[in-house]
Amino acid sequence: MVLFGLGGLLYVAILFTNAIAILSEDRFLARIGWTASAEPGFGGARDDASVKARLVNLVSSVRTLMRIPLIVVNTFIIFYEIILG
Amino acid sequence: MQRGNWNNPAPAHSPPLHHPVPQHVSTVPQLRSPPPPQPPSQPQSAYGYGQQQQQQQQQQQQHQGGPGPAGGAYGHHPAFGGFMNDPTAQMATQMGRTAVAAGQEYMEANFGRFVSVSALKHYFNVTNFYVVNKLYIVLFPWWHKPWSRQQRLSNNGQDGYYLPPREDINSPDMYIPMMALVTYILLSTLLAGLRGAFHPELLGGTTMTALLVLFLELLTIKAGTFLLAISSSSQLLDLVAYSGYKFVHIILATLISELLSHLHIGGAWASWLVFMYCFGANAFFLLRSLRYVLLPDQTGQGVGGQQAGYTVARSQRNRRTQFLFVYSYVVQFGFMLWLSRA
Repeated sequence: MVLFGLGGLLYVAILFTNAIAILSEDRFLARIGWTASAEPGFGGARDDASVKARLVNLVSSVRTLMRIPLIVVNTFIIFYEIILG
Repeated sequence: MQRGNWNNPAPAHSPPLHHPVPQHVSTVPQLRSPPPPQPPSQPQSAYGYGQQQQQQQQQQQQHQGGPGPAGGAYGHHPAFGGFMNDPTAQMATQMGRTAVAAGQEYMEANFGRFVSVSALKHYFNVTNFYVVNKLYIVLFPWWHKPWSRQQRLSNNGQDGYYLPPREDINSPDMYIPMMALVTYILLSTLLAGLRGAFHPELLGGTTMTALLVLFLELLTIKAGTFLLAISSSSQLLDLVAYSGYKFVHIILATLISELLSHLHIGGAWASWLVFMYCFGANAFFLLRSLRYVLLPDQTGQGVGGQQAGYTVARSQRNRRTQFLFVYSYVVQFGFMLWLSRA
């Protein structure tokens, strides 16, 4: 019973990360301007301190890093759900 | 005495000690000290075999089940008194002992890597005086004056470290939050039992809920710290401790409201009043304490003085203050409500 709460939490986290990972880069994120800053300022500081810039950075780094682990984890969960119900 | 002296020199001859093998089964196992090393024990057990065989031949009516002659090494099942003489039992005991020792070493080595035990010790370095005063501050934070934590330069003079809770009343500890957490779990389960709605999964469920709340609060603070670019040097356990102080308020609110409803004083509004007071106390306490975590430059002294020339834009400072207020009041209200209702 204790484990059920934990499993639900895990599912929620995985679903959220999936949602972030499958957003389309050019069709969606570019449209609303949430792509990473393309030209780092030459000699000037990037606009890194604003909330939006950090959010954009976070989203893009999650997408880059978590793609492959998400494939593995999703496969595990699919097998678990199919075999063990 | 039947065999020659070609094995043992004269003084080391195994004396004719015969441990009496009782014929009845004693219920209390006689634990002896470990038997002497191998060579003298062999003749002993052989002697024991011989004696038992003798006794068996003498009493032919009783079926001993042939424990003596049957299976020399492992089948030796006399009564409990003689089982430590068996070399196999000795070997098994030694293996067990080695296994337990190895397991303990493994645990200590790996546990020390995950959680730094010395950092934990700092949080449990409390005194009675500290606990009582801290509880007073937590429940009545309105009149407490200096909220800043004191620090002291370490030996190499470079980085300062915070004083332990023993010497600084403003330092967060883990003793009160841990005790409050366990008390909250037991208290809510007890009250559920008094209402007649107890089942054992309630304990686990309450624990998971409380830990989930702690985790979500930690996540909120970390997300806020990251998004608002706050570079604070506070430890993770500090934040856990600050989140754990709310359990004191929840315990108090739950107790008082249960008492009031039991004595039929007031109604639902009385328990709401108590809850609002406790929520206010918790929010004010967090506001004052987390100000030094979330707004590090307002104090005028960074830890170690590395942020001497660091200025923050006014809009950013406003945003951080807003975040602090929202966290202390709105977020805490939601969590306290959740924990009191569950």
